[in-house]
Amino acid sequence: MDIFTMVFWAIAVLLFLTSIIRSKKNTLEAMKKSKSMMGGMLGEIVAIILLIGLVLTFIPPELVKKVLGTSNTFVSSVVAAIIGSITLIPAFVAFPLVGSLVDVGASIIPAVAFLTTLTMVGVVTFPLERKEFGTKFAFTRNLLSFGFAIVIAWVMGGLL
Amino acid sequence: MMCSKLKKNKLFIMIGLLYIGLLLVNPGKALEAFNNSIYYLKEMFIILPVIFLLTVAIEALIPKSVIIKSFGKNSGLKGNFLAFLLGSLSAGPIYAAFPIGKTLLSKGASISNIVIILSSWAVIKVPMLANEAKFLGVDFMLIRWLLTVVAILLMAYITAFILKKKELQAHNDNDENTNSLMIKQEYCIGCGLCVRMLPEMYKMKEGKAVVAVTSMEEESVEEIHKTVQKCPVGAIQYTSKIEQN
Repeated sequence: MDIFTMVFWAIAVLLFLTSIIRSKKNTLEAMKKSKSMMGGMLGEIVAIILLIGLVLTFIPPELVKKVLGTSNTFVSSVVAAIIGSITLIPAFVAFPLVGSLVDVGASIIPAVAFLTTLTMVGVVTFPLERKEFGTKFAFTRNLLSFGFAIVIAWVMGGLL
Repeated sequence: MMCSKLKKNKLFIMIGLLYIGLLLVNPGKALEAFNNSIYYLKEMFIILPVIFLLTVAIEALIPKSVIIKSFGKNSGLKGNFLAFLLGSLSAGPIYAAFPIGKTLLSKGASISNIVIILSSWAVIKVPMLANEAKFLGVDFMLIRWLLTVVAILLMAYITAFILKKKELQAHNDNDENTNSLMIKQEYCIGCGLCVRMLPEMYKMKEGKAVVAVTSMEEESVEEIHKTVQKCPVGAIQYTSKIEQN
């Protein structure tokens, strides 16, 4: 286990103990709630990770580098942002998926674009958002999020 | 029941079949693919409990209702800060934020703060930061977090500049004076928590929870309110005639 993982573990355990001491009842209730949410995702998590194995086996790193590498980041980041907007997978499993692609040579620019639009832009949830807040709000928020996702990706590409 | 289980694990079954097929055609490659997965699987299970514990602790230590209460008509920086806090400390997918955003809107929250809540709810989950740091590195996580906060603030102000509050849909469901209990199907994630809490009121149908009864006893009002609060995505809608009298 690396140092950062240990730090996260320590923080998590400490906060959890605090919450048990503060209120056992609230903590147990929160545990039930989180368990139902995360339990439902477990199958999906394992499935995505097994998919990563297939991708790493059958898609050669050279191809990943060529398509998602640093050569044509403009097109790849826009495409990644579009894919992120229409996909509906938990961010949860998106991190190992994207991490595995970056490990074999994908540029971080499309990676960031995908991660950001995945959660912030929702084509699938758009009708719901429209119903609750109106068409203009939903359009504005989703379009701005899409644009900013690409800006964030580009700035990060320049920094890292 | 069987059918809904199948539907829920569609992806898992698909990938499983892919592996079985591959095992028959080329066992060497199947094994290689499985071995490639093991590293990520191990890493995932190291970080999963952290995410779980953090989510639980945040939920138990900082009840959402407290933040919502102190929200009010707060505008300015303090309001923005509370909006960020509410969004990034909450669990659940973005559409779980819609009902909460709507409630706050009717309480007088500004458009920019609604944008901040929805966006930060979507991208900057505190427990998820641990996950991101694990698979993409701490630098990556920190820089993306910082840039995202700045971007959300800009988006909030741009949206408030473009939109007037009047233009936001403020429609309410019209059957308010009836005693009605319903589960918004488009929000339900089928976790089954409400069914376990109140099996006489709710049941599972095709992987989603539905209301199982047509008439309600007076004494179940409190129990129902509990399930409304506990639903992780806020999908249960309940208006009680009894309570209003």
